[in-house]
Amino acid sequence: MDTPSADSDSSAGRPRLAPRIRDRKAGPGRLLTLPTSVDDIVSLRGSFLAYPDLASGDDVLQNLSVSMLDRGTEFRDRFELAQVLEECGAKLDLSSDGLYVECSGRALTEDLPRVMDVLAEMLRHPSFDEREFEKARAQAAAEVRRRMEKTGAQAAAALSRRLFAPAHPNYSDAPEDVLRRIQRVTVDDVREYHERHFGATGWTLAVVGDLDHDRVETVVAEAFGDWDGHEPEPTHETDATAGEDPDKSNVDVRLGQSLSLRRDDPDYPALYVGNYILGGNFSARLMRTVRDEQGLTYHIGSRLAGVTARYDGYWQVNVTLSPEVLDEGIDVTRTVIREFVEEGATDEELADKKTTITGSYTVGLATTSRLAQSILTNAERGFDVEYLDRFPREIEALSLNEVNDAVRRHLRPEALHEALAGVEPDPVEA
Amino acid sequence: MNQPTPTEAPVEIPSAFEFRTASDGIECYRLVDNGLRVLLLPQDGAPVATSMVTYHVGSRNERTGHTGATHMLEHLMFKGTERYHQRKGTSIFQTLQRVGARVNASTWMDRTNYYEMLPTEHLPLALDIEADRMRGALLDPQDVESERTVILNERDRKQNDPVSRLFDEVWAAAFVAHPYQHPTIGWESDIESITADGLREFYDTYYWPDNATVSVVGNVDRRNVLEEVAGHFGRHDAAPHEIPQVRTEEPEQAGERRVTVEQDGQLGAVLMAYKSPPAVEPDSDTLDVLARILASGKGSRLYQRCTDQGLTSDVFGMNFRLRDPGLFSVFGYLAPDVDHRTVEDAMGEEIEKIQDEGVTKEELDRARNQLRAKIAFDRDGPMKVASQLNEAIAAGQWTLYTEYLDRLDRVTVDDVQRVARTYVKTDKRTVGWYVPTS
Repeated sequence: MDTPSADSDSSAGRPRLAPRIRDRKAGPGRLLTLPTSVDDIVSLRGSFLAYPDLASGDDVLQNLSVSMLDRGTEFRDRFELAQVLEECGAKLDLSSDGLYVECSGRALTEDLPRVMDVLAEMLRHPSFDEREFEKARAQAAAEVRRRMEKTGAQAAAALSRRLFAPAHPNYSDAPEDVLRRIQRVTVDDVREYHERHFGATGWTLAVVGDLDHDRVETVVAEAFGDWDGHEPEPTHETDATAGEDPDKSNVDVRLGQSLSLRRDDPDYPALYVGNYILGGNFSARLMRTVRDEQGLTYHIGSRLAGVTARYDGYWQVNVTLSPEVLDEGIDVTRTVIREFVEEGATDEELADKKTTITGSYTVGLATTSRLAQSILTNAERGFDVEYLDRFPREIEALSLNEVNDAVRRHLRPEALHEALAGVEPDPVEA
Repeated sequence: MNQPTPTEAPVEIPSAFEFRTASDGIECYRLVDNGLRVLLLPQDGAPVATSMVTYHVGSRNERTGHTGATHMLEHLMFKGTERYHQRKGTSIFQTLQRVGARVNASTWMDRTNYYEMLPTEHLPLALDIEADRMRGALLDPQDVESERTVILNERDRKQNDPVSRLFDEVWAAAFVAHPYQHPTIGWESDIESITADGLREFYDTYYWPDNATVSVVGNVDRRNVLEEVAGHFGRHDAAPHEIPQVRTEEPEQAGERRVTVEQDGQLGAVLMAYKSPPAVEPDSDTLDVLARILASGKGSRLYQRCTDQGLTSDVFGMNFRLRDPGLFSVFGYLAPDVDHRTVEDAMGEEIEKIQDEGVTKEELDRARNQLRAKIAFDRDGPMKVASQLNEAIAAGQWTLYTEYLDRLDRVTVDDVQRVARTYVKTDKRTVGWYVPTS
């Protein structure tokens, strides 16, 4: 673009999002809408803060509550609810993620009113039918059993238990414990949890696509009108546990350490870039050395995980290794990490990854669902909508010193815990 | 939704191309000198574009002893050319990911595709790389060795997944003559023994501009893109030989076939697979509808009969649309403490009911509306468009993508009953059970 306009980012010709997003209160919550050039469809993402008491095992109650939402309300049975969506090809998914209950959906624009209506009804008036509860519980147990077959998920969960206390949202229980707790829960427990923890506390909705701002606002206000907030306050642990001495074992490997840094920490962008240089994509150092040069693995990478504005997250390195190269693979991985932290990234790597991160940010905003998710996540972090446009500029402005300093401050190779799953001979994808 | 098909190019186009046809906004061109086909869909929206090269070669083209060659070649295509190579710091992944591109490739029975989604300003880079590796892949023997280990590892992981193995076993039993019988990743012994020369021969047989389609979708300028495509791909000659075609037809199945996979795991599964017509045939549209009526959503027959009654924890209906006859399938994960026979009988009875009594207009409308919404969502962003288009190209008729809505509109309640009777027959099915051993 030759002439930068108010709607474009002069540094890269990126069209700006913030001026096109409308952010306001609608009904009991916050509504953010963004019209795009797509035809006939909208995507939506929403969440509210349920504040489960994680130390008391509320995560199981929250999961089961959520799984009951589409199984019938006070006004419609499960088939009638499903029929509304299935007749128009719309999708609506409800899920539980730590402190949040989340929803995501998509519909033809003309069907948004009835989808929103069903969503509000499911969140506010589930019927908690006893028979349905038994089925939900059996399916939840089956799902846990299926997860037990995934060694990658097991290793990640094992690592989380080394880094966090049970009251922390990043802690994952051992599947055997989850199964036991699922068996003990009654439908009354779940009904009571819903009464206490489901409400418009922090309720935020992002809708993106072929839409008219005002029409969506009317639909949302009508559907959620008088939904109230709930009483429970946050009880979760926000800090990571100071880990004991790292120990060591075997095959689908996760290395990790906790991070005492939140998403709104000034160091975050620099550390994000630093980690990206180390293990963010196929051309990052770990992939180039451990996979491409040494051929020891199919996949290796690293990421900042579970980092939010509300509690500590962690740094995780994933590597899948065949049993015969397990020790060698871990050693090489640790060496690459140690050298990276000690010696730092190079100017060239930084320039590369800046192009990568800002380019993939642009690419990542090319669908309505990704846009809706980005807008919601940004709002959950407590950031203003302008941050969606500011983020790439923030990345572009980082110096090499800032990145290497952040890496040295936050990443501690000597403190890496190891967790593994899938005892030989079954290596499974990370 | 469909626009009339113009008979002339929408605007002036570079002389290297001839305009072939257009359908629902997608324009089809041919690079005159070498026969490369180009599909172009300019869209408004984010400043991004997807570039994709679909080679009209898949595991269907592999002969005995060389199974897995297509997939292995797909991996080797990332190992570089003279210009784009890791030793120069310009590996294909590094170069493309550096600009924020999403890069990958996939191999399936009827096609192999390589794609990049990236900021539009970097589209010429993607086209340059794709054109370069169309004829300039090095296929270095050392790279073949290191990639062999990677692929064997990938195969191990697939084998460790009991459901993936169940599908492989059912396809292997269902096809005795047609090459759809072997898994795309190949048999282990073939992966172990294939040589760099063998891959070179495969590459030199199939990787030519006149056996490929370049698709560009996104916020692009038509003329610029065509000039870039002509500049990069125009330097290749057409294949010096005729591209070999698969002529084997699967003989008619005369009786049910059954396979069992016993492997460590938690929950059993049942897969019932029936011979289906080629993707381009109208009956294939009807089978898409039938798959929805059977197993999509809580209103579906199998959900109500099996999952809702506690027999299965999940059910799926799948119509694999392929260039040659494929498999229409229903699949269920058993609920704990339910046996395979019970689930198989329940699924079989629901199918029989449709054969005997047909389906309702409401069921047909619901399935059709679901598919309509799916089509609208499959246009959300250039990557989704390209990926749908890819399957239509593979099936042998790219306009399947643009004409699909109209084709669906023609499906009737009677058609659904008829295809259920014609294709979903006990004596033409292959049944697979996954039996967990721990």
